[in-house]
Amino acid sequence: MLNRKEAPFATEISGIKIKETVEHTFQNGIKLYALNAGNEEVLKLDIVFNAGAISQVYKGQANFTAKMLSEGTSKYTAAEIAEKLDFYGAYFQAKSGTDDAVITLYCINKHLTNCLPFIVEILTDSIIPENDLAILKKNTIQNLIVNEERNSFLARRTFNQSIFGNTVYGGYSTKEDINKIEQNILVDFYKNQYQKGIKYILVSGLVNDMVIGTIANNFDNNLFLSNERNNHNYQETIFEKETIFVEKPNSIQSAIRIGKKLFNRNNPDFREVQLLNLILGGYFGSRLMKNIREEKGLTYGIYSAIEAYPNDACWYIDTEMNNELCEKGIEEIYKEVKLLRTKKIGQDELRIAKNYLLGSFMRSIDGPFSLADRFKILKDYNLSYSYYYEYIEIIKNSTSESLLELANKYFNEESFTNVRVGAKN
Amino acid sequence: MNVAQLFSHDNIIKNILIKYNQYQLPNGLTVIHHFDDSTQLCVLNMLYNVGSKHENPNKTGFAHLFEHLMFGGSVNIEDFDTELQDAGGESNAFTSNDITNYYLTLPANNIETGFWLESDRMLSLDFTQESLDIQRNVVIEEFKERYLSQPYGDVWLKILPLAYKVHPYNWPTIGKEISHIENATLEDVKAFFKNFYCPNNAVLVLAGNIELEKCKELVAKWFEPIPSQQYTKPSYSLEPKQTEAREETVYADVPANMIVKAYHMPARTSNDYYAADMLTDILGSGKSSRFYTELVKNKNLFSELDAYITGDVDAGLLLIEGKISDNITVKDAEKAIIDLLEDFKLNGIGDDELTKIKNKSETNIRFNDMTVLNKAMKLAYAWVLGDIELVNKEIDHYLNVTKENIMEAAKNIITPTNCSTLYYLSNHAK
Repeated sequence: MLNRKEAPFATEISGIKIKETVEHTFQNGIKLYALNAGNEEVLKLDIVFNAGAISQVYKGQANFTAKMLSEGTSKYTAAEIAEKLDFYGAYFQAKSGTDDAVITLYCINKHLTNCLPFIVEILTDSIIPENDLAILKKNTIQNLIVNEERNSFLARRTFNQSIFGNTVYGGYSTKEDINKIEQNILVDFYKNQYQKGIKYILVSGLVNDMVIGTIANNFDNNLFLSNERNNHNYQETIFEKETIFVEKPNSIQSAIRIGKKLFNRNNPDFREVQLLNLILGGYFGSRLMKNIREEKGLTYGIYSAIEAYPNDACWYIDTEMNNELCEKGIEEIYKEVKLLRTKKIGQDELRIAKNYLLGSFMRSIDGPFSLADRFKILKDYNLSYSYYYEYIEIIKNSTSESLLELANKYFNEESFTNVRVGAKN
Repeated sequence: MNVAQLFSHDNIIKNILIKYNQYQLPNGLTVIHHFDDSTQLCVLNMLYNVGSKHENPNKTGFAHLFEHLMFGGSVNIEDFDTELQDAGGESNAFTSNDITNYYLTLPANNIETGFWLESDRMLSLDFTQESLDIQRNVVIEEFKERYLSQPYGDVWLKILPLAYKVHPYNWPTIGKEISHIENATLEDVKAFFKNFYCPNNAVLVLAGNIELEKCKELVAKWFEPIPSQQYTKPSYSLEPKQTEAREETVYADVPANMIVKAYHMPARTSNDYYAADMLTDILGSGKSSRFYTELVKNKNLFSELDAYITGDVDAGLLLIEGKISDNITVKDAEKAIIDLLEDFKLNGIGDDELTKIKNKSETNIRFNDMTVLNKAMKLAYAWVLGDIELVNKEIDHYLNVTKENIMEAAKNIITPTNCSTLYYLSNHAK
């Protein structure tokens, strides 16, 4: 007779293998990292530049330069570039983050040769036409106005400003900042941050010699320089806790973000704190989800997360809940954090969290693009693959005692900044 | 040289094949197996052939509410998620107009845990009033978060009843109104389970690093003992042909005026479906699309303008949706869309434009097929459509579409009397 009461035997996750990149160095010094995995003929090419917001002089400069890259070169108009890349079924993306900018091409293998000349064109000869810039500014402002109607957007912005102050991680462009952006400051940024060199190139997917050769044909020449170093200075602000209420009359729900400044991956406690965070609010089985969603039905979702950057980091709990019941919800959040500091985590709960986290790590290295993302994290923080293998060991060896110690060291709820955006109660 | 000649369609997609095995258990459960050892994972996908279109019009939102209850414990297992997480797994689900789909991913070694969990909740749920009360609240918060608290969040609540007068697609999956969810009783829940959640109304897909023999053995062990059920598919009427232009105007606290035009189009299983899908690619997909180049970029009448289809099993909708630029009147913006569409119907498309969207289709399919989870869902959905082999044949349906097919789709679909227009206007502009 089949026993349905008892779980089938499940093994502890072990022997996780991470497919690593292969490094190539071009004659011009540019490093190409190749990640060959999967069995579909697809490619993702990331070209990374020291062109994040951290390198900008004016707000919005980095972001707008990235967005304007494909808006016209001396040879082609924006429409022609889009037409060519679309014709080969490719997708182009230029994203400027806080610390770098990544230009990405997605295409299938057989079209790489045809697509790359346009990428080269964009990276060496963009002219950032004024007319296209005017349209982008207008549409960006309209998007911003829509976002400002979202309580969750406002909560995130207010929280980050409180935690990171006027640094790149707390900096948001206002309507006025966007209006002030002019063609010449974008051209300057393009010259200084793009044309002075590529940080590195990362290709993932079905990467064979032909793919490497095609990339070399386009990038291993005197059109491009290598520029691995980012020579900016980051001035960390001093964190002081705040309680902030942003009134949005007529809101049905309040957006809530509670948290504090934390440290990034270069701190030895980071990986074990990831496990602690998971238990509190990092997955569906977390304490916050179980208590506030599954037991009390106060929200559709609640989670906690560490937001790490190469120079700084924060940790927060985020949720949206019924405006009238949110005081009760906030109280429960603080109770859960306090419990994490005062009572040891039970053995079952710890085992489940560990198993889930390791399974989740396995999913995060599934497929070429996921592997490329994991590699990029290592580059961002100047780490090697041993970081991940150690991570697996740290998770496996973590104990209730060490987690209690970490909770007390870092998660004193007295020290939290608390942001609520919603209607008055 | 005409670049189109370089890529004659003969050399597009010859080697994309999702290999699978398929069989049926005596209790009526269809099983599909797909082996892929490039991953360390295994996916178990269970699709029940029930969606919001099978609901009682006075008890809408039920299929989706039920999806939440499926995680509230089953007859032998108190806590679904905890057991899954303990084996390193993760799961989720979604409900649409047509189907409810559950999926879980586990390290391949531990896939039996998935069989245990998924078969137990097919066997029976642990129905408690408490679990219902809580999930009702969660779903009500979801309703608010996604449909009421977001700017433009209730567009679907407005456009569907305008476009559908008879067919149950006239309410969204979340439900017509919150009261329907509030009023759901435990009796309703039990009856719903009994009727729809049986092996003979479901398809099970195993995809990933699991051999066929192992799959068969586990299916026999966990799913074969579950009895089949008598069930009735509620009948519903198909939407009659729309014969008059419909429109509605609403005002809300949103920053910009928005226009949504919804046209009826052929069902997912119709041969004409593909041409309609490609029509929206030409119009609204990407920076070289007609809408973007002409109306967003050149004339700057819209800050965004998209065209897309709902892709429902029964005849669905082709939608055009745009946010209108600040200083432009709604009428001018709408006229520009209509003029562009009329011009398109008159002058047609070029060879390169056709090749372009076919190339896009190939890219989309290849990128989609990168993960076993996507492949599993695609197999399950093809079963719903009545032909599993669609997972491999579908690309040919796209590649065989001619310019004439697309023109014909445009002429048949894009007509004023087939259109419902929603003017979603900003209170600031009032």
